[in-house]
Amino acid sequence: MNARALRIGMKRGWTEHNHLLRTRKELLGTLIGTVGVFAALTLWMGDSTVEETGVPTITFMMVGFLAFTVFGTALMTFPMALVTDREEGTLLRLRTIPGGIPAYLAGRAVTALCQIAVQSVLIVAAGVLLGGAPLPHDWFTLAWVLLLGTVATVPLGAAIGCVLPSRNAVGVATLPLMALMFTSGVFIPVTLMPEVLQWTAQAFPLYWQGLGLRAAFLPDTMLAAEIGGSWRLPYVAAALAAWTVAGMLLAPPLIRRVTRRESGSRLAARQLAAQRS
Amino acid sequence: MSTAVSVRGLRMSYGAAEVLRGVDLEIRRGEIFTLLGPNGAGKTTTIEILEGFRKRSAGEVSVLGTDPGKATDAWRAKLGIVLQNWRDHARWGVRELIVHLSGFYDDPHDPGELLAAVGLDEQAGQQVGRLSGGQRRRLDVALGIVGRPELLFLDEPTTGFDPEARNDFHRLLARLAADDGMTVLLTTHDLVEAEKLAHRTAILSGGRIAVCGTPAELAQAVQAPSQVRWLEDGREQVMTTPDPSQAAWELHRRFGGPVPGLEIRRPSLEESYLGLIGRNV
Repeated sequence: MNARALRIGMKRGWTEHNHLLRTRKELLGTLIGTVGVFAALTLWMGDSTVEETGVPTITFMMVGFLAFTVFGTALMTFPMALVTDREEGTLLRLRTIPGGIPAYLAGRAVTALCQIAVQSVLIVAAGVLLGGAPLPHDWFTLAWVLLLGTVATVPLGAAIGCVLPSRNAVGVATLPLMALMFTSGVFIPVTLMPEVLQWTAQAFPLYWQGLGLRAAFLPDTMLAAEIGGSWRLPYVAAALAAWTVAGMLLAPPLIRRVTRRESGSRLAARQLAAQRS
Repeated sequence: MSTAVSVRGLRMSYGAAEVLRGVDLEIRRGEIFTLLGPNGAGKTTTIEILEGFRKRSAGEVSVLGTDPGKATDAWRAKLGIVLQNWRDHARWGVRELIVHLSGFYDDPHDPGELLAAVGLDEQAGQQVGRLSGGQRRRLDVALGIVGRPELLFLDEPTTGFDPEARNDFHRLLARLAADDGMTVLLTTHDLVEAEKLAHRTAILSGGRIAVCGTPAELAQAVQAPSQVRWLEDGREQVMTTPDPSQAAWELHRRFGGPVPGLEIRRPSLEESYLGLIGRNV
């Protein structure tokens, strides 16, 4: 990847991020969809605490929303954007330009990072200001878990975006992610799940990301709800790193395949099909 | 190097269906060349192979001295591509998008000058998604030429235009090509467009180039028969012949002087074209 393409790509990502902030529909979707729901939850839950620990329930929920924001942005919003770009011809446009595809990918990654950053800040702000949740006691863990969690999921999101045939298929792809959301311990403690689901959850990055984030925000009195009664941070790092490697191996050939197949006649055929349906 | 595009024996099959059956083409630098043919003749397939977007089944292809199957960024920088169905970057500003894409090239056009050249200065701050169809296409052309390409591909650029927009577009294209000495390869199924814009036209029919040349050469090459009419015995006589001049000469000799009501009608290019693709279909 040449330096110019990377530089233009990063600037492109920033520009697209600003376009999203200026688009009312997107903005409302983000704000109400995640941050708004969380803020409402904050007010509704009030001062309730997790049994026998004194930890406000809202803190646990805040961490869950944070984990899910990263996961959802990387694995739902991001692939959706890729599919849309393919259908509208953005990908093809960049394919006609020297260095366009690397710049495009860099741009999309930057936009995803910006979205994750904005939503994370808003969720923590809502939790702290509205719900009285504490700031993290371990900033370092927060930083590396967020970063590694993002790096682990964005390439996977790219891979998903490449294999989805159309925008209609995105809804179907969302279902397993929703199932993961409920079984991965981000909103419901994982130890309440049957053992099979616990093992399944641990195979995916969402569980590990949630665990790492809980380690940064929650006191050790909450450990009773965790598998093995430990934050298992080395495992968090190893699992997220493994997913990063898997994503990096999986995404590039899929991206190459998708961009190689992009052409004017394919674009025309897709648009014709879309008009008919 | 005076050849921009050279194609020999180009073949393309999709499964068992053979779309191109040995296409030969030679496009000179600086000319506006149209690839004309009915829908489904293989125009888009041909142009996509030349653009490096599609792998050919067989044949030799050289575009600006490079095999498009081995496209590099440096080669891509010398091409401009305008497709039919772009609806991309709808949220971007018109000027913003031109500036962004110009950043990929070493010596791009000045975005302001380019906007003026395609007549979009008033829309510079507008969102791309809010442009009309004609404005959108002009923006596509601006984006196609922003990097000062040596060769510009236009795939059916005026489909869906009203006659006035089409005229404006033709004038714009002719001016841009003349100013920059750019080679333009345009596909169309509209003969009038080809006749008006192109220095040379190739007619693609049945997966082969049926005829190639200037509009006049084209008309001659297809040689649809002419009609010769005259008055004789108080009635109009009609004769259909590939050589009307010879027929007129013979008539003059038979009449020993002027032939009453003599009229020779050579087929229009359109008639020739329809005859040609009819012949090959």
